[in-house]
Amino acid sequence: MIADERRGLIWWGWVGDHLDDIWQRTVEHVQLTVIALVLGCMISFTLALIAVNARWTYRPITRVASILYTIPSVALFVFLIPFTGLGMVTAQIALVSYTILILVGNTVAGLDAVPEAVKEAADGMGYTRWRRLVAVELPIAAPTIVAGVRIAAVTVIGLVTLATLVGNGGYGALINDGLKRNFPTPIVVGASLSILLALLVDAGLALVLWWVTPWRRHRAGTP
Amino acid sequence: MPGRGDIAISLVDVHKLFDRAASPAVTDLSIEIATGEIVALVGPSGCGKTTTLKMINRLVEPTSGTIEVLGRDQRAVPAHELRRDIGYVIQQIGLFPHRTVRRNIGVVPELLGWDRRRIDARCEELAELVGLDVDLLDRYPAALSGGQQQRAGVARALAADPPILLMDEPYSAVDPVVRGRLQDDLLRLQDVVRKTIVIVTHDVDEAVKLADRVAIMNVGGVLEQYSTPDELLSEPANDFVAAFLGRERGLRRLALRTVADIEPIEGPAVAPTASTREALDAMVRFGTPWVAVVDGDHLLGWVGRSEIESTRAPFGELRPQPFMSRVAPTTPLREALDVIVNARSRMAVVLESTGSGPERYLGMITIDEVAGGLES
Repeated sequence: MIADERRGLIWWGWVGDHLDDIWQRTVEHVQLTVIALVLGCMISFTLALIAVNARWTYRPITRVASILYTIPSVALFVFLIPFTGLGMVTAQIALVSYTILILVGNTVAGLDAVPEAVKEAADGMGYTRWRRLVAVELPIAAPTIVAGVRIAAVTVIGLVTLATLVGNGGYGALINDGLKRNFPTPIVVGASLSILLALLVDAGLALVLWWVTPWRRHRAGTP
Repeated sequence: MPGRGDIAISLVDVHKLFDRAASPAVTDLSIEIATGEIVALVGPSGCGKTTTLKMINRLVEPTSGTIEVLGRDQRAVPAHELRRDIGYVIQQIGLFPHRTVRRNIGVVPELLGWDRRRIDARCEELAELVGLDVDLLDRYPAALSGGQQQRAGVARALAADPPILLMDEPYSAVDPVVRGRLQDDLLRLQDVVRKTIVIVTHDVDEAVKLADRVAIMNVGGVLEQYSTPDELLSEPANDFVAAFLGRERGLRRLALRTVADIEPIEGPAVAPTASTREALDAMVRFGTPWVAVVDGDHLLGWVGRSEIESTRAPFGELRPQPFMSRVAPTTPLREALDVIVNARSRMAVVLESTGSGPERYLGMITIDEVAGGLES
């Protein structure tokens, strides 16, 4: 009976019929996540560099970022609708806001942990300020920075599910659809896939870190 | 040594007052550093020696005064370009942990845009020069011992063959045995590369051992005396310098000279063909209870009076004992003195290594000869 199958936790027939739709939602979810992360990284790295070079700005920057982080996500979405309407911009403002505290904090911590002697040696060798940052400080700070990006990525993947409230796609649309029709299958599919995506992205970033920091693997031996 | 007219670094009335500091770190300092010399900046903490060093490569900018490097005002070029011509070694070394030793050593050549193959060849050449195992080049700094890291730091500073090398307490973080070896290595290296080296240290012995000239600085960056180690130790300019150099000035001067600088005495020595009578006469003449047996310029050993007196055998058949207190012409006098005071005979024999053959015997030295060495 169709009715019985609909009430079960998952109805594979529906999944088979809606592969295109699920794929579409996956693409949307990944897009929203990537856009939020890229914007978040760009803004946060800029803020972190400002904070590292002008120490007095660090507290105001983190203060604002932590206020943004504290506002419940749904509340922020709703709060923004009168200003930015329903859609992509509203969703992105909220998503990006959440990444800033984590990313700024970890980037500043990573750059601060670069040993003074290494920075002094780099200056003494004739690095320009910019080149020292790119070639010396960022690689050494990479583990801490990437740790921040991993937390931000997982957070954003979770939040994108809620962004459907302001009219975006992604797995949230599947969950919403299931809730409206009292039909569990899309809810289970949307929730499971967003968890899976979070795990995959987290593992992927860990792998990237492993790959770009060979020196951490060879403490005592040859590469 | 090059003439004093050939000046590599010149500081004129250099003054440094740090922001929010009550008193200056360096006060009207004028000093000239000759090309190819090792100059040590020495003094107690707060004497501005490190600040002075860092002003040379503009890690610290002077408040007033001028600094000329290789005959040119150091402000004529951007700081980062100036620094690529000046090697820099610091106590904590500061190797880049994310780069292999090879890529650490190649930092400045890379900044100067050398191609990969030339950098590689240079790294291997430098590893050899500073005494670093070439196998270590492809490891990361964390895999190296403190001494090896220090050698890598020196290799990195020398990579682009800069005419000037600045060293900020380079050996104070390594243990005394390694420190001594690294100091010897630096002197050996300097014979090959002939750089102008400015080294900051708080260790008088290190300054005296390494430097051609020593600048003694007082708190606030006041230059108290600038002269050769020998002048410094024999004629300290004032009470501060004398107190800073400590009570062992005479011994430290001895460290500057070697056995080759003094004339050994013949001492109680006879040929293996000598008669018992002649051997006993030599002992009486020098007041020793033993006599050395010397065959040409080859030292066979010594024979004691009791042994001669307790046998009827001719002197030539007695078996000489080897000398334990021996020095070489290259032994510093301070070390030779130590050998002498520890010897029961209060003497040391001087033996010169000849490479393959037996050592050549040059004579004996006592405390009198060593002390005489300070008069020259």
